[in-house]
Amino acid sequence: MAQARSLRDLDWVLTGLALGLALCGVWHIATATEGTQWASAWWRQGLWVGAGLMGMLLVARVDYHRWVDQAWAWYLLSLVGLALVLVVGREAYGARRWIPLGGGVHLQVAEFTKLAIIVVVARYLAELRTPCAQAIDVAKLGFIVGIPAALVIAEPDLGTAITYGSIPLAALFVARLPARYWVILGVAGLLVLPASWWMLRDYQKQRIYAFLNPSRDPLGSGYQVIQSRIAVGSGGLFGAETSQGSQARLQFLPVPHTDFIFAAYAEQRGFVGVVLALAAYLLLLLRIFENAQRAPDRAGMYLCVGVGVLLLCHIVINVGMVVGRMPVTGLPLPLMSYGGSSALCVFLMLGLVNSVRLQTFVNT
Amino acid sequence: MLGTDAYRSGPSPHWERFLVVGAAVAVWSSILVARLVYLQVLAHHECARLVHSQSIEYFEVPGLRGEIYDRTGRPLALSIPSETVYVDPRHLPSLDEAVTVLATHLKLDPETLRQRLQRARSVRAGYLRIKRRITAEEAQALRRVNQRSKFPWIHFEPDLIRVYPSGATAAHVVGTVNDQNQGDSGIELALDQELSGRPGERSVLRDARGQTLEVLELSHPVRGQDIGLTIDARIQQVAHEALKRAAEQWQCQRGSVVVMDVASGDVLALASYPEFDPNRRPFPASELHRRENNAVAAPFEPGSVFKVVTIAAALDQGVVSPETPIDCHGGVLVLRGRRIHDVHAYGQLTVENVLAKSSNIGAIQVAMRLTEPKLYEYVVRFGFGRRTRIGLPAESPGRVYPLERWGATSFASVAMGHEVMATTLQLAVAVATVANDGIRPVPRLVLWRGMREGRREQVPILEGPRVIRAETAITMRRMMEQVVLRGTGQAARLMGYTAAGKTGSAQIYDPGARRYTHRYNASFVGFAPVIRPRIVVAVTLNGAPRYGGVVAAPVFREVAQAALQILGVPPDVPVESPPQPPPEQELNDVALASVARPPMDSPSQEPEQAESVAWFGPRTPSFVGQHLRAALAECTRLGVEVELRGYGRVRAQSPEAGAPLLPGTRVRLECSP
Repeated sequence: MAQARSLRDLDWVLTGLALGLALCGVWHIATATEGTQWASAWWRQGLWVGAGLMGMLLVARVDYHRWVDQAWAWYLLSLVGLALVLVVGREAYGARRWIPLGGGVHLQVAEFTKLAIIVVVARYLAELRTPCAQAIDVAKLGFIVGIPAALVIAEPDLGTAITYGSIPLAALFVARLPARYWVILGVAGLLVLPASWWMLRDYQKQRIYAFLNPSRDPLGSGYQVIQSRIAVGSGGLFGAETSQGSQARLQFLPVPHTDFIFAAYAEQRGFVGVVLALAAYLLLLLRIFENAQRAPDRAGMYLCVGVGVLLLCHIVINVGMVVGRMPVTGLPLPLMSYGGSSALCVFLMLGLVNSVRLQTFVNT
Repeated sequence: MLGTDAYRSGPSPHWERFLVVGAAVAVWSSILVARLVYLQVLAHHECARLVHSQSIEYFEVPGLRGEIYDRTGRPLALSIPSETVYVDPRHLPSLDEAVTVLATHLKLDPETLRQRLQRARSVRAGYLRIKRRITAEEAQALRRVNQRSKFPWIHFEPDLIRVYPSGATAAHVVGTVNDQNQGDSGIELALDQELSGRPGERSVLRDARGQTLEVLELSHPVRGQDIGLTIDARIQQVAHEALKRAAEQWQCQRGSVVVMDVASGDVLALASYPEFDPNRRPFPASELHRRENNAVAAPFEPGSVFKVVTIAAALDQGVVSPETPIDCHGGVLVLRGRRIHDVHAYGQLTVENVLAKSSNIGAIQVAMRLTEPKLYEYVVRFGFGRRTRIGLPAESPGRVYPLERWGATSFASVAMGHEVMATTLQLAVAVATVANDGIRPVPRLVLWRGMREGRREQVPILEGPRVIRAETAITMRRMMEQVVLRGTGQAARLMGYTAAGKTGSAQIYDPGARRYTHRYNASFVGFAPVIRPRIVVAVTLNGAPRYGGVVAAPVFREVAQAALQILGVPPDVPVESPPQPPPEQELNDVALASVARPPMDSPSQEPEQAESVAWFGPRTPSFVGQHLRAALAECTRLGVEVELRGYGRVRAQSPEAGAPLLPGTRVRLECSP
């Protein structure tokens, strides 16, 4: 089979949008943290974006089938990684999520696990020989994703676990899981949901209370919610004129460069900027799903669907949280939030998508 | 490639299903966009305001309060910029550290401070004033610590300290300021607007941790106007000390001295006893009466001093001359059923001697020739019963009953200074009228107002009305000199200067016992030198055990002597050794008790109404504890003037509850919320 993979055939729209959003993120990390203790975050993020870009090109050049073949190996590796986090992980903000690699670099295994789950789900469904996914597949996939999800919940990081769940669900949806199973899943979900309340940790409950009524504890659990809302609102149509007195710069907006980068962005760019950014994300997602439809085989398709749904899930939850339509969860906004592991992973995922795209040009 | 074919099977994708996902995304997106429209368009201003309000604090930078000087440029009230320390309790790192730092450097009680901080923290207050008006050393020490340890929670705001260099000496005239640096008595209150200036505005940008990022001066404070008083600090001091010494020697409750420049009406000194220290703050409510300016706010029955008015009126109307013989009925006069006594039995006295010997019967005889309406007319023209407009708060108009309310013997009482009430200042003005060739001077207390260097706006001298003819005034002056030379005022004789005046010793009515006591409103009002009078000095000692000639005249002598020398008035007679004071008997000028009706017996009042209490006039009700509005309503009902301080509930009052409510007095209410 001819190897005609050329970078000329890369999805330039996708890459351009991703790079644009990432640079926009670097820019707003810089303005939001100027004069604060995180003033160096922007150039670190710049380096990560650069590294991510390199990683994306590398992954794109490799036939994605290799990853699918090695799926189980990656899966097991990430399980080991997640277990390791719980043992030797560095604690920050009340959670154990990072493995220190030295040199000030900390690996967030949970991020890379997303890649493994995407690949493993794609592999599983692509190997099915039935016309539709069946109940047994739901159970198996539930088990496969349930293990890393449980490990992540133990960190604790509920938000990430939820995004894990979105991958098999979306894949099953595309894989024609009959409607009756969806009904059963839905009912089961509704039954589990109230029960899961007891499973929630205190701080998680606080976040839900704060979401429902931020003014209950405006300087405690409701603080982030309120300050984020104020920051977004103060942006107005075209953004606050000066950054000098901004919510982010005055540090009223907590950690404005990570989970709440979109609030800082909204404050500075206003409604117009927010709509532009959301449009860019939408285009990015559409591009990914387009690649899914054009995928040369089921595996490629499931890879793209997994990536697309995962990003969608992040964006929906993060933006919802920033504008006060979702409880606070520690989910970053892909491409814009500060965070090396996250940035790198997103670019690697986009590399997978590009790889699928490049394979469509291969004559087999 | 490995397993490529293996991945070609599996369920065929069901893209139509993605429409559902698309729809869900669309719904969610519209929820988000709706939210964004709400936040960024509809609620934008509210959010922007919140950003502003949580990061920017506005402060008033007080305009330096104008200063007050005496006529020679000596400072009477100064403003010193200071600072007030406050903290943002939300940003305290630890209570212990905060208590230690603040208590050590500001010399505060750690326990009280801890409690205050705890309370502020529990209510999540963002501002807690720690100490007002800290000293420069405290500020320096705290700043040093602040710089070294970077406490972002200690803040300073500009404040002022008002200092009165003359202390108690001129306290009643200059007045005082309250905790907010607003005038609350004296000139400080009367000219508060001029003195206040305008505060500037300052904005402070702070981050979420309380660190100050930026300070902007939005508007500069405007300094208040300086005020120059007509007071001469040196004369004021002499007057203050002489008054205090005499009052303490004779155990008087109250007293006052007014020194006036005859021609201009300039008040050169205005002293009141008991004194208070204006630099002491807060002033204890129990000593509120000390703050009363007795020279303008405490009218009393003047007694014989008033004979100046009676006789001047008669002379002016031409019904008597100084030489006119007056039959003094051997010391007893029965007038419309009342017996009136003189201290000494006189057969016949000239009008001149009626004044010099202070004969009551003589004065009444003179008044009878004058007739009631004319007497009343002159009393009013001399300025009694009306405020002098000296420009001090709480000035009393005194009390002169309208003619239609005069009783059968009222003219006799008025002729010798009863049934009227006057302030020391009014007496000074009346005698100054005589000294000023019959034109009543308008007392002037403010000499100039203006900004610091140059540009002073002089306050014009106001021309008063002519009260008596110039010839009458000159005659009166000669007659009043006789009072000092050989009459009841011999203790007022000066060294090197001629002096004239009139004594007064009005018995104080005891409303409890329903009779006159042997305590007197002892006064002396005089001027010097006689030929070309320069100053008038009025001295009153309320509650003296002796007569005006004994108690008040020496104060006059001391004050007038010093004032004339300070003013550089050339002596008009050779300096000789001070004359021996005559025996006290001769100085007696008491208007005897049986003469006058109880002073506040309103002519229309029925006796039955007053039988249950000894004092048949109204009494001061107790306002303490009442709400301000209720107290005011009560005062309105009683027809009493009120002087207010603060708001809320009445905390202290003056006069005390149960004290006779004399007409013309003011009730002073100190309130706090």
